[in-house]
Amino acid sequence: MEGVQYLASGFASALTPANLAFALAGCILGTLIGVLPGLGPAAGTAILIPLTFTLDATGAIIMLAAIYYGAMYGGTITSVLINVPGEAASVVTCLDGYQMARQGRAGAALGIAAIGSFVGGLFAAAALVMVAPPLARFALSFGPPEFFALMFLGLCLVTGLAGQSLAAALLMTVLGLLLALIGIDPVRGAPRFTFGIPELYDGLGFVPVVMGLFGVAEILLVVEAPFRRLVETKLKGLWPSAEEWKRSAGAIGRGTGIGFVLGLIPGVGAVIPTFMAYIVEKRLSRHPEKFGTGAIEGVAAPETANNAYANASMIPLLVLGVPSSPTIAILMGAFIINGLTPGPFLFKERPDLVWTVIASFFIGNVILLVLNLPLVGLWARLLRLPYQYLCAGTLLFCIVGAYSLKGTLFDVGVMLVFGIIGYLLRKLGFPLAPAVLALILGPFMEKSLRTSLEMSGGDFGIFVTRPISASLLACAALILAVSALRLAALKSIRGGTL
Amino acid sequence: MKPWKVLAGLLLAAPLVAFAQAFPAKPVQLMVAYPAGGSTDIAARIVAAIAEKDLGQSIVVVNKGGAGGQVGWTEMSRAKPDGYYMGFINLPALNTVILDPDRKAAFNADAFVPVINQVLDPGIIWVKGDSPYKNLKDLIDAARKNPQKISAATTGILSDDHLAILMMEEAAPGAMFRIVHFEGGAPVMTAVMGGHIECAFDNVGSVFRRIRTGELRALAVMDTQRSPFIPDVPTMRELGYPTVISSSTRGIAVPKGTPQPVIKRLEQSLKKAMDDPEHLKKMEEAGLQLRVMVGEEYAKYYRELHAKAAKYTEWARSRPHK
Repeated sequence: MEGVQYLASGFASALTPANLAFALAGCILGTLIGVLPGLGPAAGTAILIPLTFTLDATGAIIMLAAIYYGAMYGGTITSVLINVPGEAASVVTCLDGYQMARQGRAGAALGIAAIGSFVGGLFAAAALVMVAPPLARFALSFGPPEFFALMFLGLCLVTGLAGQSLAAALLMTVLGLLLALIGIDPVRGAPRFTFGIPELYDGLGFVPVVMGLFGVAEILLVVEAPFRRLVETKLKGLWPSAEEWKRSAGAIGRGTGIGFVLGLIPGVGAVIPTFMAYIVEKRLSRHPEKFGTGAIEGVAAPETANNAYANASMIPLLVLGVPSSPTIAILMGAFIINGLTPGPFLFKERPDLVWTVIASFFIGNVILLVLNLPLVGLWARLLRLPYQYLCAGTLLFCIVGAYSLKGTLFDVGVMLVFGIIGYLLRKLGFPLAPAVLALILGPFMEKSLRTSLEMSGGDFGIFVTRPISASLLACAALILAVSALRLAALKSIRGGTL
Repeated sequence: MKPWKVLAGLLLAAPLVAFAQAFPAKPVQLMVAYPAGGSTDIAARIVAAIAEKDLGQSIVVVNKGGAGGQVGWTEMSRAKPDGYYMGFINLPALNTVILDPDRKAAFNADAFVPVINQVLDPGIIWVKGDSPYKNLKDLIDAARKNPQKISAATTGILSDDHLAILMMEEAAPGAMFRIVHFEGGAPVMTAVMGGHIECAFDNVGSVFRRIRTGELRALAVMDTQRSPFIPDVPTMRELGYPTVISSSTRGIAVPKGTPQPVIKRLEQSLKKAMDDPEHLKKMEEAGLQLRVMVGEEYAKYYRELHAKAAKYTEWARSRPHK
């Protein structure tokens, strides 16, 4: 293995005190960025790029990569503690992570997230050494029709994510898709449902909507029942129990696989792997009804997938020079500013640098674990604050986060309105997750659908004549059929009333 | 001259002089109508860091991304014209936002006063490195033989790349491409390298490195002179299509009504920064071709480009396959 040899020398140069310090500083800064909602990994990395101008190329890239990983983990902390996702990839962690925190298990949730992230990240980095080039070439066979089929499959899966009623889940999915239509038509450029408000031309900001639906709505619910602590139960142990370990092991394994594979495909984004991992766990679980009430698998799987994705998405960048997400595009910019062109030739021209950077991915994952495990107890203790302080703090935090997105008060308004909508939907028992996923996937689905049709000159046959797209759509059809059959069976048991 | 006249003159001129000297008394905003990390943003941060030394006040880069620049430019058109608000205008993106009636822009071309241009990134036609199209003639012949069958990627509807395809079709009668719009350069790269799209209309800055390595093949640069980054690639003028000239330019403007002495002061600091060796070096590394234009030269360029964009925007809207 040529790669392993190179990796050894990479470790030697990545383990210099200076480079270790850069990785540590990057992890800390990144965690802070992740904790602040609104300031996502992409914006955070971009703002910190000038910091690295004075460093040499290796140090700069090690630091930026560490910021990226740190940000991906930092978002988890607020999701678990106060139901506010620090960045989009942590949305799904709210579903069970926050419920765990309410039961006094915040420590276990944060601990399993840190460990899952570590395992997923390490595996993806190892795979980068072994199998990256051929896999990355395969990933390029995903064109717009394949993307559409993949998103469609995701949306079909989401009907099973919802709570008690399939009808309610479908309603929420459609609501999410309708909200996704707001903004400039991605192909023709005409504004839709914008009522002449320029801030709406870009569509509803996803982060303010989610902070409203989850964070603000939660505050409103808490305020209903005054004079109690947010977490009534005692903090039971900061470490996952043996039972929780057992339940998480499989979830971590599957999360790693899902995150890794989706990370190879440019353009998937960090959100889809987390949702996919969550849905798969729920589908496979013997107790799907426990999901949403504090199931540790529901935290372990998406958090693992999230970090496996983050590491795997470096593969298309390093091997093909294709950035797979906005954050990676900014990292690519940092490479270029430092005089390096990511792509197949980088491995040949600067193997020393490439392998040092890859070695630093391993080191970054270790630092992240060492940094975060001791902090878990500290974060969890925050929940002991009386609720009135915590609620006020959370609201302030959400408002600052929404404002800092684009620097407009408009997003703050969006967040507050969706806080009220989320509160009402929660009271009425509608599941929020399908609406959120549809809102995220909607624009991508529409774009890839219409780009595909531009490619084919308007012929829908393009989706079934291409093998990858056809197989994905067949999977989606199968899932729909199974869901319908199960529903029919349920209906006959209940004597036709639903 | 009588003493009282001198006195009166001094008194009248004093506020103007005082104003010009007092400016800038606080930090100046530089709005970029695209998210942080894009090439406009990077170039803006490079020039801002240098220009603030001469200006004596910090220049704060503020990103107002969204709607292909429309959100930021709407804000700029409404900003107080006191010199403390400058913004990047990207041409022809700004022109087509104004010209496309569907976009319902709340401003027109006169809402901005161009101050100084920084970057001119010429258009380029490229194919995959192993594509059967060895030169521009191969591609045009194929597009003539199979009209609307050869797919061509753009980085967005009514972008400079979209208009460039229309210029190409106009200059080579009978050739017609199947236009496929993507959002930005990265998805175009993925789609063409994956073999889903046959050629791309793009800009030199985003692809020249891959052309040097041979991963991509450039067929023509849409400029009157060869690009210093890829001097082997012929220009459209050399290839016999002198009307197919397209680029993306980025420069700094202020809202209409900004006082002339203030504009001059900003122009002076920005011009000095753009001629600075550090600026030249950083822009070279980023692959961004400089074309510094100030005053009337830039204003004239802005007006002429607007007229040209108007013709092709109209055409894009009436073409059966947009």
